[in-house]
Formats: sequence, structure tokens, C-alpha cells
Amino acid sequence: MKLKVTKSNYSLIIFLLILLTLFSIILFSTIGTADINIVEAFKIGLSKVPFIKSFISLEGIKNAHRVIILNLRIPRVLLGILVGAALSSVGAAFQGMFKNPMADPYVIGISSGAALGATIIIVTGLNLSLFGIKSISVGAFLGAMITAFMVYIIARVNNKIPVTTLLLSGIAIGQFFTAIMSFIMVIFSNDLTKIIYWTLGSFSAKSWDELIPVSIPIILSIIVINFFARDLNIMLTGEESAKSLGVNVEKTKILILIICSFTTAMAVSVSGIIGFVGLIIPHIVRLIVGPDHRILLPSSALVGGIFMIFADTIARTIISPTEIPVGIITALFGGPFFIYLLKKKKKSI
Amino acid sequence: MTKAVEIKDLNFGYGETLNLKDVSFSIKKGDFVSIIGPNGSGKSTLLKNIASILRPKDGLIKIDNKDIENYNSKDLAKKMALVPQNTNIAYDFSVFDVVLMGRSPYLSRFQRERDIDYKKTKEALRLTDTLHLSERNINYISGGERQRVIVARALAQDTDILLLDEPTSHLDINHQIEILSLLKKLNKEKDMTIILVLHDLNLASRFSDKIVLVNEGTILAKGIPEEVITYKNLEKVYNLDMVISTNVYTASPYIIPLESKRIYEKKRKKVHVISGGGSGVEVVSKLDKKGFKVSMGVINRGDSDWDIGKKLSLNMIEEMPFNGITEESFKENIKEINNSDIVILTSVPYGNGNIKNLEAAYEALKINKEVYLIDKYNEYEKFDFVKGNATKILKEMKKNGLRVYNDIDKLINDLN
Repeated sequence: MKLKVTKSNYSLIIFLLILLTLFSIILFSTIGTADINIVEAFKIGLSKVPFIKSFISLEGIKNAHRVIILNLRIPRVLLGILVGAALSSVGAAFQGMFKNPMADPYVIGISSGAALGATIIIVTGLNLSLFGIKSISVGAFLGAMITAFMVYIIARVNNKIPVTTLLLSGIAIGQFFTAIMSFIMVIFSNDLTKIIYWTLGSFSAKSWDELIPVSIPIILSIIVINFFARDLNIMLTGEESAKSLGVNVEKTKILILIICSFTTAMAVSVSGIIGFVGLIIPHIVRLIVGPDHRILLPSSALVGGIFMIFADTIARTIISPTEIPVGIITALFGGPFFIYLLKKKKKSI
Repeated sequence: MTKAVEIKDLNFGYGETLNLKDVSFSIKKGDFVSIIGPNGSGKSTLLKNIASILRPKDGLIKIDNKDIENYNSKDLAKKMALVPQNTNIAYDFSVFDVVLMGRSPYLSRFQRERDIDYKKTKEALRLTDTLHLSERNINYISGGERQRVIVARALAQDTDILLLDEPTSHLDINHQIEILSLLKKLNKEKDMTIILVLHDLNLASRFSDKIVLVNEGTILAKGIPEEVITYKNLEKVYNLDMVISTNVYTASPYIIPLESKRIYEKKRKKVHVISGGGSGVEVVSKLDKKGFKVSMGVINRGDSDWDIGKKLSLNMIEEMPFNGITEESFKENIKEINNSDIVILTSVPYGNGNIKNLEAAYEALKINKEVYLIDKYNEYEKFDFVKGNATKILKEMKKNGLRVYNDIDKLINDLN
């Protein structure tokens, strides 16, 4: 399992993962309820890629299929990539910052906080858009920030964040906020399906309209998280060491907490609460590429994106034509994995 | 004198109460300085204040003649490196990666490690004899090895000042010596200023140029080991009975702890022992061990009884050898007897030189002190070289209540 990873092949790993991501985008776009064969789907997909499109002929392909691929599947897959990458990057950063492999935006409640924030904006009808920034996103961000700081303060014991208090306060606050959110939704909408899709997360019926506003903020914030790679590495060696190595630990922690809350909020505001992605992906990636955040963070983002569209493909095809929330699929993978981690870490808890 | 570290009127508290009070001292460039003191005395806190991990309430800390507040964190990291007490590292980094992190103060956020960084990292690994561990996982090497790796990381930081917080705790004795010898080597060869918190007084005394003794948040003593490692200082701080001798191999003060004084505090009776020629060694050390406050006199310098008294740092009335007891020391002896609860006399031969000691014991009886004789005299050996005078005094004393014991343990037992 453990590959020999040295700094010289970091670029190679990233390059291969990008190729794999592109391949996955096309592959998972082709799979779906509508019976579109793979060759057709590839052709439609590639017909929009610069340079390659001049070699592609779409003759004999039904217009409906073109619409399905271009207007439904591709934006949905791209959104899946973004959300998966966002949640995994945040998970990796949190696991480093808290020195705790159990941390992820879902487990520590930030996703729930963001979802609650977004819900309040939706039901109060303040759903506005200013300079391309949606008020839903702002609400989600505020909800995420408040949760992050609450959990951080509650979980802290003598300046440390022990696994137990982190998990307990995260789960408690997360569940509490989810309950408030569901309650608000029941009162205001009566639409239980909507609540389920929102609390379990879904990419159902997402189009370019949802994708475009969040794409720039998510991509930018993932890049910013990567700026902290070296600081995160050093912080893993202990706070005293980090300080003596010239890292301003408190400031860095708060910055990471803010940027991660923002990233999570952007993801949650379009997809609802998708759990466990941020937990499993960084963990698996760490097993393969090692703990250095300079490779861990970008690799987690790419693998997280791939995993998310894989899970989403299962979600929309497994009992086709009915879709299930993608959060159910990630939880089916993540739940057992979480238990495995707990069991493995039991000694240190 | 160029100062590496200068501390003036430093006050620090974790909460309302002060854990460090009015601390002032300075450390010369190139010195090897140990900070010692009992648990909770504030020695680690002091180090963390110097390392800028904790910020003082008030006072001034200067590093290389510049106020520590005026450094940005990266520049400070180029001046001063820290080996913290806890060297655990989360996740499985390789030894090389950990040491390479020591170069981060020299790199900007987006900069990759340069050739010089790899060179310095290798050099640090070589100096600490950990190059062969480079590819190993930091969490799968021994405690001693990990300690050396963290020292290597500090060396990769390429600083003039190295701070270490109890680098020898949790280590076996061979690794303790190994780490300290390494530090001494760096101190000598690279002229690094080494400041470390140590628990072990003997290691501190052996390796340090200077020692700072911290007690209850204040500096009790500072200076060369001989000035700081004294019975008076350590008794006060550790509340322990000890012998301070000299390490014959390193010529540094060497502490042999005896027993804690806390246990005996209540029943410490004062015993004055009149002996000579080694006859008092056993009874004196046993009394001291049992917690009696022992004094001796009059005793010749260089006598083996004098030796034990010196080692136990007892109060002694001394006389130069072959001089005989002068009127002056006789009077002092009587004074000491006056202050004692008990007087113990050992079996020594008496001549003109020391007959005054026997007379002093007689005086003790006269002023109603308990006087005991440990009788090891036998009839075949002559002990009276003053024409029967000593025998006469002893006989008088026995008549006037001198209690005679043959067995030292029984005597001490009865004294309690």
C-alpha cells in the first residue's frame, strides 16, 4: 500500500491525478438513467473541448441526448468535483490543524452550521444576489463560522483539542443545528423530500446556474488552503515547535478555520450536507502519499472530487429512475470507515 | 561581554498569580547554561518565556541585544531554536522531512527548499549522528533517537542560541550522556549558546558553565556550578539531606541525596558528638540519616571524622592538626554543647592534645545534658596518655550519670 513518494515526484502525482479527474468527469457523465451509449457521450463531451472539437462529429446523435449530457450531466459532474474537492481539502486541513485524523467538516458540525445558515436565508426569503454573491452563501458562511468557533472553544482543553471532546462537541452541535434546520423547514415548507435531500446532500437537478456562482469561490479557496501547507506540516510537530520555527500558530489556526468554513459553506450552499467525504479521502490519500500537506492537500482535493462523482453516479443510478441523496452513499462508505478509524485510534483516545 | 540573552525584571503568570517574579539575569554568548529547580519552580516557564512561547506580563527580554518584542517570528527563529519537552509528532513523517522543517524560517510561503536547505539538513543529521535514520518514520525510532532528530531540526535552523526543555527526561542514562555530550560539542565547536532546563543536578553540574537555580518563581542563585550547587542552596530548595562531594572524574560538584528532611522535621533533636580518629564516623552518619541535627567538636582538620562532617555539611568546631585544643575552641565547644539536647562521646585515646574534649563532656553533664559514651574501650589497650587523668574524669562522669552503650544502633534507637 505504501508507495515510495519523494518530493521530486510530487508534480508527477498531481499530473496523473488531474488526468484521472478529467477521465472520470467524462466517464461518469456517460453513465446514467437515459440510455446514452459511452461513445456517444464521449463525443458529446469532447465536442465542447477546445481543439478536440473540430475532430468530433455529432451526426446521428439525438438532440435530447446532447441536452442531457451538456446541460444536466456535465454541470452536475463538475459540481460534484468541486464539492468533493472542497470537502476533502477542508478535511485534510482540519486533520492537520487539529492533529486529529477524525476531523472533517461534517463530523465537527461545520456542514450542519452552514446548512442551517443557508436554510434561514431561504425561508426568510432573503434570497438575493449581489455582485454574483448569493445571500444563501453568505448565510451558509456565517453559520459555518459560528459553528467552527463554537466547537473549537467547547472542545478545547488546556489549549489542546482532544479527539473525544472534538467529536462530542462537533456531533452535538452538528445534530442540534440539523434539528433546528429541519424544524424550520418543516414549518416553512412541509416538503419532507426537500428536507431529506438537504440534510443528506444531493446534486439532484443541479445545472450551470448553481455551478457557476460557487465555482470561482471554491477553486480560489482551495488554492488558498494550499498556501498553508508548510505551516500545517510544522504545526503537526507540536505548537511549541511550530512557534519556535517561526509559525504564528494562533493566527494561522484562525485563518485556516475561516477559510475552511468559507469553503465548506460554499459547498454546502449548493449540495446540502454531504458527510464523511472530508474524513475518508484525506485519510486514504495520506496512506498513499504520506503526511506532507504540500502533496496531501492537492491530492485530497482531486481524489475527493473523483470520489464524489463516483458516489453521485451510484446515487442517481442505483435504484434508477429514482435518485437517492448522495450523502447516503458517502455515509455507506464513510460510516464503516469511521468506525475502523475509531477502533484503530482507540488506544490514543 | 556580549550577551546572548538578557532578562530584566521579568514577571509572568499563567493566571492572576505570578509564576515568575522579578527574574533578571543575562547569558553570555557561547555559554552552556542549565536552569535547575524543583518541580513547579518555574524553570520550564522561564525557558518558554525566553523562547517567546509565553509572553511575560512585564519586564524585558533581549535576544542578541534586541528586544524580543521587536523580532518578527521568522527572524527570531533564525536566532534561536527550541527543542521542546514533548517531541511527539502527529502522523508519519520521515526523519529527513522533520529535520528539513528546521529550514522553514528561511523559506517564503511558496518557496521550495533550495540546495542549501538540503545541505544544512544533511549536516545537522550528520552532526547528531542520525543520518542513517533519514528515511525512517519519526514515530518508529527510539526515544533517544527521536530526541537527537529534534536536536538536528533545531540545528538545521542554523541559530546561535539553542534552548532545550528537559532534553534528558524519559531517556536512559546512556542517551542522557549522549545528548549532553553532543550539546557540549556543539557548544565548543560551533560556539553555540546552549540554554537548557535540567532535572538532574549532577548532569547540570557536570556539563554547565553556568547554572541558574530557580525556586518558587524567583532566581535563588546563579553562577558557576561550584557557587550554585551548595548544601545551603539545595537544602533550602529541595528540603533534602545530601552530601556534596566532588566528582573525581570531572571535578564538578557531585550531589549524593540522602533522605528527605520532610519526614523527620518534627523530631529533630540536636546531638553533639565528641570524637576523633574515625571513631565517630558510624554514629555520625547514622544519626544524620535518622534525622538528628548533628554537630561535632572539637575535631582536627583532615581527621576521618572531620571528613564525614564535611560531607554531611555538619556544624563543626575545628582545630588544625597537631595543635591541641586551644582555650578558644574549648569555649566554642561548650557553647555548642549548650545548644544541644544530647552529647555523645566516642571511645578515643586521650592525650594532652585532646583531654579538653573529655573535660567539655564532663561540663555537659554538670549542666544537666544527657551524655552518652559509646564504650569500645578494652582493657588490653591503653587509652589514657595523660597519667590517669582521663580515667579519673570518666569514672567521675559515670558516677554523675554518664550513660554507657556498647551498641550504636541500640543507642540511637533509645534516643528517639
